[in-house]
Amino acid sequence: MSRIVVTGIGVITALGDSAAANRAALKDGQCGISFLELFPSRYSETLRFGEVKISNEQLKQKFDITDKGVTRTSLLAIHAFEEAIEDSGLTKEQLASYDTALIGANTVGGMCLTDELYHDANNDTEGSEYISSYDIGSVNLYMQKRYNIKGIGNTINTACSSSANAIMYGARLIQHGLAQRAIVGGADSLAKFTINGFNSLHILSPEICRPFDIDRQGLNLGEGAAFLVLEKEEEVISKKPYVVLSGYCNASDAFHPSSLSDEGDGPYLAMQGAVQFAGLNTSDIDFVNAHGTGTVNNDEVESKAMSRLFETVPAFSSTKSNTGHTLGASGAVEAVYSILSLKHQELYPSLQFETAIESTGLKPLQEYIQQPVQHVMSNSFGFGGNCSSLIFSRA
Amino acid sequence: MIYVHQIAAVSPQRDLLVETIDEVNESVNNILKVVEPPYEGIPLSILRRMGKAVRMGVGAALPLIKNTTVPLNGIVIGTANGGMEDCIKFLNQVIEFEEGTLTPTNFVQSTPNAIAAQLSLLSSNKGYNITHVNRGLAFENALLDVWMLLKENPSHTYLLGGVEEISSYNYNIDHLANWFKDEEVSNKKLYHSTSKGTLSGEGAAMFIVNNDPQDAIAKIDALHLMHAEDVSEVKSQLIHFLNKHLGKGELVDVFLSGESGDIRFVSFFQNCEHHMKDSTIARFKHLTGDFATVSALSLNIACQVVNKNILPDHLIKINRHKHSVNTVLIYNLHKGVQHSFMLVRK
Repeated sequence: MSRIVVTGIGVITALGDSAAANRAALKDGQCGISFLELFPSRYSETLRFGEVKISNEQLKQKFDITDKGVTRTSLLAIHAFEEAIEDSGLTKEQLASYDTALIGANTVGGMCLTDELYHDANNDTEGSEYISSYDIGSVNLYMQKRYNIKGIGNTINTACSSSANAIMYGARLIQHGLAQRAIVGGADSLAKFTINGFNSLHILSPEICRPFDIDRQGLNLGEGAAFLVLEKEEEVISKKPYVVLSGYCNASDAFHPSSLSDEGDGPYLAMQGAVQFAGLNTSDIDFVNAHGTGTVNNDEVESKAMSRLFETVPAFSSTKSNTGHTLGASGAVEAVYSILSLKHQELYPSLQFETAIESTGLKPLQEYIQQPVQHVMSNSFGFGGNCSSLIFSRA
Repeated sequence: MIYVHQIAAVSPQRDLLVETIDEVNESVNNILKVVEPPYEGIPLSILRRMGKAVRMGVGAALPLIKNTTVPLNGIVIGTANGGMEDCIKFLNQVIEFEEGTLTPTNFVQSTPNAIAAQLSLLSSNKGYNITHVNRGLAFENALLDVWMLLKENPSHTYLLGGVEEISSYNYNIDHLANWFKDEEVSNKKLYHSTSKGTLSGEGAAMFIVNNDPQDAIAKIDALHLMHAEDVSEVKSQLIHFLNKHLGKGELVDVFLSGESGDIRFVSFFQNCEHHMKDSTIARFKHLTGDFATVSALSLNIACQVVNKNILPDHLIKINRHKHSVNTVLIYNLHKGVQHSFMLVRK
């Protein structure tokens, strides 16, 4: 098998609108979680979110978008996509060739427009400009049209692990010769739909989230997007790739629609499978970018699964304490953070942590450090038991 | 190459390969709703909470999983929208209760991955689990995923499926977007229609697939999916596909077309048909209506056609019948831009 390398990255979150800006904020231990300024919701001033402080109008202007019906999810996706393409040096011709695949992921699609969708779905309008932009696939379809991408197009939804699976799928398309390069990632924007959905499950934290802390009270929702350009190592000798995508695995927890099993079979199988795929020993993993949402259930189960897999649990942290939980984007956002750690040989801290969970005693990394980093694991676990782990290694 | 070992569908017809046109269930108000089976085997307490998409998907798949003698290594589903009814029910609560205190049931059921998730839960399957949602190519990507999985793990067996439900909500949205006919047209006269739009449909089709030719019902030999707005581009892709996948002198016995009665897209089908001069031309959307993952149902039909060597008259547009049907080429088109070819053999 060929080695699949990452030749371009792009990311936008509450921390910043580029990989460089995100890295600077991560190094500084900045938190992008705040009350809402742009998105109107009943919870604007009572709950905190990882909101990107750039308006839709600003985003449209930046990319000269005058088409009707372009949603915030698509705008965030385009922002990260354009950065990744430029970073990798892909030409318009390469984008439009039959062997360039575009694999996206998100969970809300155009449902960020909750009020418009309400009126269109209940048939009390003539149809808004967003009538064809509500479904999850709409983001990718718009991008395929905008960039004239003729290769394989796909969108994946496995809840909060959606974009980790998009990365896997793109890598596999290349391995099977179905694409020469794959642009993979995901996006999600804040939506009343998800805010109220997670709120009805009582897993939104009233405070800024505290992943892996004994007193954690839930997650903060965030928004953002990230894309990676994947290519075969032997076909890009002129480029200097960031990292190798060395391992990945998808497994199901098969336990409950909205929580993980006590022993964390799904997370364990995903992590174990990724290590095995990479041909590594568990002791080779230097760092884990944990799923670490800050919910009571996730952090305890993930800790247990890590303790089961690793003889000594490696350094780990949750960057959701910086960005909030960006749902369908989080797998790709955290893949970019893992790639930055490898490129710059540095690890970013988890914020808001004070006391370890009693049953596991695991403490996330609490300060920025520079150290040799060879292999980083990135975890993403979603509702419905959809667990995926990725491993990136130094090129 | 993928071997199909078991198939099941929940569709607007009792059996997708209905023998005569008289037995074909008729559309009501331009909608073909599924005939739901009794869903034996799903615990009642769970069944009651399921939305229609989850119910159809799980209902079609569970019996297959139970009948499979080899262990199942994963569940791969294509659905553009998943539980749309639950989704809008929850949305209605969000608006009508002004983001007040809401119950999570509809929210959890509404995520498209709920079908694959429920199946893994009910069958305790901890293998690969994924949901592809790329609108009119959601099922094709699920099929492509399984094709790759079987190359990576030649001894594995997977559940593959496509599911879509009609709710009044997604009917409203797609109707406002001009995808359905304004005037009433019966499914039995669908292909005579000269207006824009098609009929709305829904359904679920499930397949147990692996690499083992022994006792297989059919094999899926090739797949091609594409995003194109130009008729000539689709035709050249068809020619390329046939050259690549047919043996020398080999012909396709049946060209199963996704013609939908929408005048705006007739030229795509005509162009392909013109190229398939030696094949019988058949159609299926009068049985299913149209929806994003209808190609899953067309694959069920193609498997039955090659397996039973039957092609009912009401499916046939142009008869160039030979003594037996060994190869079926399915061509589907969704909303004018998403196209796919699937080659099915005996």
